[in-house]
Order: sequence, then C-alpha cells, then structure tokens
Amino acid sequence: MKKLVILRRASQAFFLFSFIYLLWLTLRPIVYIPLLFFVAILILTFVIGRFFCGWVCPLGTIIDICGVKVKNRGVNLRVIKYYILGLIVVFAFLGIQIRWIFDPLVITARFVSLNLIPSVTLALDKIFIFLLKSLNFYSPLYDIYRGLKSSILGVKIYYFPHSLITLGFFLFILALLGITKRFWCRVVCPMGAVYSIAARFSLLRRRVDECSHCMLCSVNCRMSAIKEDSDYRKGECILCMDCVYSCPDRATRFTWPGKKTNAQSKRGISRADFLFLIGAAFLLSGFRFKEGAAKKRLIRPPGVTDEREFLNKCVRCGNCMRICPTNGLQPVIFESSIAGIWTPHLVPEIGYCEYNCNLCGRICPTGAIPKLSLEAKKEKKLGTANIDKDICLPWSQNKECIVCQEHCPIPTKAVKIYDEVFQGRKIQKPYVDSSLCIGCGICQNKCPTRPLRAIKVQP
Amino acid sequence: MRIESVFNRLPGIKISRKAFVRLCGIGLGGMILNSYLFKLALGKEDVSSGRPHRSVKTLHDLVVAKGEDPYLMTVKAIEAIGGMERFVKKGGIVVIKPNIGWDRSPEQAANTNPYVVGALVDMCFKSGAKRVNVFDITCNDAKLCYQNSGIEKIARDKGANVYFTDDWNFIKAGFDYESPMQGWPIYRDALECDTFINVPILKSHGLTGLTLSMKNLMGVCGGSRGLMHFDIATKLAHLTDFIKPDLTVIDAYRALVRYGPTGGNLADVVDMKTLIAGTDPVLCDSYAAKLMDRDPLSIGYISQAVKINLGNADISKADILTLTA
Repeated sequence: MKKLVILRRASQAFFLFSFIYLLWLTLRPIVYIPLLFFVAILILTFVIGRFFCGWVCPLGTIIDICGVKVKNRGVNLRVIKYYILGLIVVFAFLGIQIRWIFDPLVITARFVSLNLIPSVTLALDKIFIFLLKSLNFYSPLYDIYRGLKSSILGVKIYYFPHSLITLGFFLFILALLGITKRFWCRVVCPMGAVYSIAARFSLLRRRVDECSHCMLCSVNCRMSAIKEDSDYRKGECILCMDCVYSCPDRATRFTWPGKKTNAQSKRGISRADFLFLIGAAFLLSGFRFKEGAAKKRLIRPPGVTDEREFLNKCVRCGNCMRICPTNGLQPVIFESSIAGIWTPHLVPEIGYCEYNCNLCGRICPTGAIPKLSLEAKKEKKLGTANIDKDICLPWSQNKECIVCQEHCPIPTKAVKIYDEVFQGRKIQKPYVDSSLCIGCGICQNKCPTRPLRAIKVQP
Repeated sequence: MRIESVFNRLPGIKISRKAFVRLCGIGLGGMILNSYLFKLALGKEDVSSGRPHRSVKTLHDLVVAKGEDPYLMTVKAIEAIGGMERFVKKGGIVVIKPNIGWDRSPEQAANTNPYVVGALVDMCFKSGAKRVNVFDITCNDAKLCYQNSGIEKIARDKGANVYFTDDWNFIKAGFDYESPMQGWPIYRDALECDTFINVPILKSHGLTGLTLSMKNLMGVCGGSRGLMHFDIATKLAHLTDFIKPDLTVIDAYRALVRYGPTGGNLADVVDMKTLIAGTDPVLCDSYAAKLMDRDPLSIGYISQAVKINLGNADISKADILTLTA
C-alpha cells in the first residue's frame, strides 16, 4: 500500500477539480492567492518543503498525468528557473509585469477558461442536441438539458476565435515533457523557484538508513532531486513520496530533525549571474509599454483608464473573458504590441458590454479591471459609437431600421433620431450623441448590416 | 546519407512512414465522417405552416380591467371574458409569451409585469393544463433578463417551466401566400403547443411607435432580427397570422411612454393600472394604442393587419366590458 502516494494523488485531484470547479461555476477570482494565503503556504513550505508543487499546483497535476509514460532523464538545467524569477523581479522593479508569461496558475486558468470550458460545453451541447433530435423531442431529457443550461452548460457556448494560440502555448508546456518528467517544474517555473528557495530551510527532510546504493530512487525521481550519493537537493524535492516506495530496502523515510543535520552548501548569486540579469532585462525591452502604440484600437473593459497601469496589473488569467455574459471580452492577440498579448478587450461584433453588469471587475483577481458598483459602472465610458452613413440603411438606402436606437441602454438614448421625409414616408435616421454614449457596443452588436457594421464603437 | 526522421529524434516516440501516412488518413477520414454525421444528425430543418386557427367563443370581444393589484386584475379580466377553461384543454400544453426582452426591473416597465404572468400560470394549471412554458428570446443577456424582470422566479414558483431558448430549435415559417417572412426561423415551442397566450407590455417603441401584442411576437423569431425592421409592419402582421395567438393579455399596469423599448428612467413610466384581455390581437392593440392617445391606424402594423383581415381595429363597433378589480 503506497499510502502516502495515494494521499498525494487524492490531494492533487482535489485541488485540480476545485480549481476547475471554481472557474467554471463560481464567481470567485481564482488566480489570485490572497497575501495571507500565500504567506501561509510559504510558512508551510519553510516547515515541510516544496509541497505546493507536488500536492496542490493544478499545472503540476496536469503535467504529472500527461507524463505518466514519459521516461525520466537527468537534466541539469534547474538554475534557469532562478534566472526567470530574477528577471521577473528585476522587471517588477522597472515597473513592468511579465509574471503572466510564467505563472503556472495563470497558465492553467487561461487554458481552462479559453479552451477547456468552451470545448467541453460545446461537445456536451452537441451530444445533447443529437440525442434530443434522434429521440422523442419533448422528453424528460429536454428538461434535464434545460436545467443544465442554467448551470454547467451555460446559456451560451463561449467562443474565442484565437483560443488556438492559448491551446498551443499550453500544449508547448506539455510537450516539454518530451525531454523529461516535470521539465517545466524543474527548469522554468518561477513559482517553483520561490518555493524552492524557501524549502531549502524546511524542517522535514528525507533520510536514508543503510543505503545499498541501488540508485533506483535517483533514477526515478521526477524532479531529479536525489544525488548520486543518496543525499538530495532539498529545494528540488516536491514530496511526491515515490522514493519511499521505490526503495527496495524500505530505507527511505521523511522525518523531522532530531538533531541538527548538515547544512546544505549554498551558491549565492555570482557576478556573472547578476550581469546576465541586467543584460537580459535590456534585451527584453520589447515588453516596454509605449504610449499610444496600443491604445488606438482597443476597447478595454469598463473602468480601465490607464493603459500602462492596466498592462502591468493584468495577469492574463482569462477570468474576465470567461465570466463576461455576452462573450464580448476576447483575448488580444495581434491587435496590440507584444506587451498586450492575452489582455482582454471588447469585440462588439461578438458581444457587447452588458449595461447592468459589473462581473469582470468583480472577478478580476488583481484589480486591473476596477471593482465598480453597478451605478458607477453604468457611467464608465468605453468608447464612442460612430455611424457610417454610407452603410447605414436609413441614411444610405432610406430603409426603416434604427435597431441601434432601440437597443441603446442609456435611459435617454445616446442614439438620437432625425426625422426626414422621403417620398412621402417618414424615415428615421439615427445619429449619436457622444456626450451620452458610453460605448457599450450593443448598437454595433445588433446592427444588421453585413459584412461591415454601420455603427462602430471607437475607443 | 541517411537522414534521421524528426520523430526519431524525439525521445520516446518512434513512428514509421507507413504509420504516419495511416495516422494522417485516419485523422482526415475522421474529420470528414464527423462533419457528415453532424449534418446528418443536426442538419434537419422542419417547415411549418403555422398554428391552426381555433375560434373560441368569448362573452365579450374585449375586457378591460382597472385596479390596484395586477394579479387580481388579470384573474377578474379572464373570468369576465369567460374563464381560462375556454382556452386551455385538459392535459394541454400552454405557452405564455411575456416580454422579457430587456434587463430591466418591473418598475422600469420594459418587461411584462411578473404578477400578470403569475396569475395566468395559476389559471392555466387550475384549468387542467399539463405544462405551462414561459420563455422569450431576449435582447439583453437572457440570464439577467429572466432574473431582473422578476418573471422567472414568480412563474417558476407557480409551477411553470421557465427556460432559456436554444439557438438550434427553430422551424422555418412556410406561408401559402407571398410573404417577406417566408422561411424565417420560428422557435419550435411556440408552434407546438395547444394554447398560445401572448402577454405583452404597453410601451413606446422607436420604429413602430408602440410595442403591442403583435410586436411582442417578434420574441419567438430567431435569425437576424435586426433585418425584420425593414418593412416591419407587413412582417409583424404576417407573423401574427402565422402564430395565431389564442389569447392576448396586454399589461398596461405601468406604461413606458418615452424612450422605449428599453427605458430605464422611472420618470418616463406612467401608472395606467389597466389590463386588456381579448382574443383578437388587432382589437387589443387598437384599444391599447387609444390608451396611449394614438390613432390605431397610425401604427403601421395595425393598419397592415386590418388590410389582410386579421382582425378589427374599430373600437366603437366592439363589445367592450370595463371592470374594476
């Protein structure tokens, strides 16, 4: 009985499922580990070691599941993650946030929000439709389907045109498994680096009594934390407990210290390391925000005013895009500079900003989208609508339309009507009062002209 | 010189050329089969020629109820017209189609008063209905509309099925005369029912002037509804002829007199405390238009409906009972 391994797997499954559950069905910001919680994990790490990576981290769990069949190899690149951590810290001091590229929680949340939930709900929906259409239409199954629509299926199936890029990034991380088990966690993950530093001081440690030097533990260690001489790198061990059971002599144990054990030889940051960090920081200056480079074409979520501050606060977790009821918030891919990748922007053709809704601000884990009361949100201006009179049906063809005016949610209507008599008929022609318009984009969303909409929101 | 395959260089994965070709073939075949099966399973499109006409004898052409309590007014009005038993078969399926189009509260008067819907649900069940369906294809987000209009909660508490519409469950409209609505997708549940009760709210509307019972039927249409706005009068008249609602109950308890159909400002809402019930949608609409000081025939779709003999727009000739609840 591998009791500890079973326990670890149960813990991993629990945290993975609760991660997906929270993202799927609740209004809780997921990526954000509140400071208190983070401090608690850090203190625990000081006591028992880098348990977070082995027992909690959802990305680590997915990597473990996908890497069951992967052959284990010793890869001596584990220093890289400290460099990455260093880079993130250096950039943070320079006022640029690049955590979003490497944070495992963000990566998993983005994958779940933009890929997993849309594809699973789509598949379930299609299966239900197929069953309903091939069976008796109005059966109890239809009621079950309708019930599910207000819970796990959602009223609408979410759609993200550029989600393939998110999927590609996620699959790339999984493809790193081709090199060895847990390659990402060993070599890249900066969060692992933080815990690794803390875990060097942990009290709980691995002990081997009367080792026969069969090397089985060292060969099988998924983090290659065990050295040739049955000693181990404490900062690398994620307490997966495999070595306890792979040891033929049952000589491996994890114990609390009775007396002081020999301290680990530590390598401080060398001059070369320091110079590397500074150099890399200069090389990566492409991430620098440039005034006006991106702001021209993007409609940001309500309440976002300072583009630079927004880019630095947004961790690109995809929570807002997953919660937006109209599916209008979409990840930026090519529309902005590289610093803006995966940040949310409103695409009115896909979905508009719901007037009576402030969910994106409520769910944003970092406050990049400010938390606003419903009343305050209704006054936030996202942009201004503009009518293209060459396309607009009443203006260009004297047809009846004014769909934009009807849908405008402003109590006094930001889209106003100008009456004109044409061939004895009254034609109502819309125009925008830009002082009233908040740029929610419902007019653009509902405008019937194709392929181009006659009314467009400009930020 | 032998060049090693990229696949061979990747650790753990070995694949021969034959296997690679086979894999590609299976993938491609799977995709083609998949799309074919999808079409086979989901591509079916039904055409309907509309609901059958049922003439129900009522005690009056039109009943107008005035009062303070919308629930009581609805009950009294339906009793005065002859009772719900005339419309609802024992074990029948009833569709109640309120206006839940907008994410607004009942006080803002953009959606049907929830108590009117609740009263109708109660009466349908009392008359022996097996199932009462309440739905609308909304303009704002469906979840928010259903919640904030208050209709979802009240109707569900009374035992009705309140559900979100599915974007795949439409039937094409087939007319036996020339119609701009030919082939327009209509929600299946609206057609496959024994009784259709149309419960609009009286409010102003940009293009047509007023939203009344015929305009409310747009809520069972799918497709690009914005395109319905061109030649809307004919389209709405033909749509009403297609659906043939058995009973029309116009909620004029609160009426939005300006900036419709969305409104939002309480100053634009006028308390009329009136409810109109009848079987002739044109007559109901005409009376409601009069309430708003409009000439019924100035509303495009009413005059168009009169033109195709859908009903009577002349209020002076109708038998109207006014009661106070």
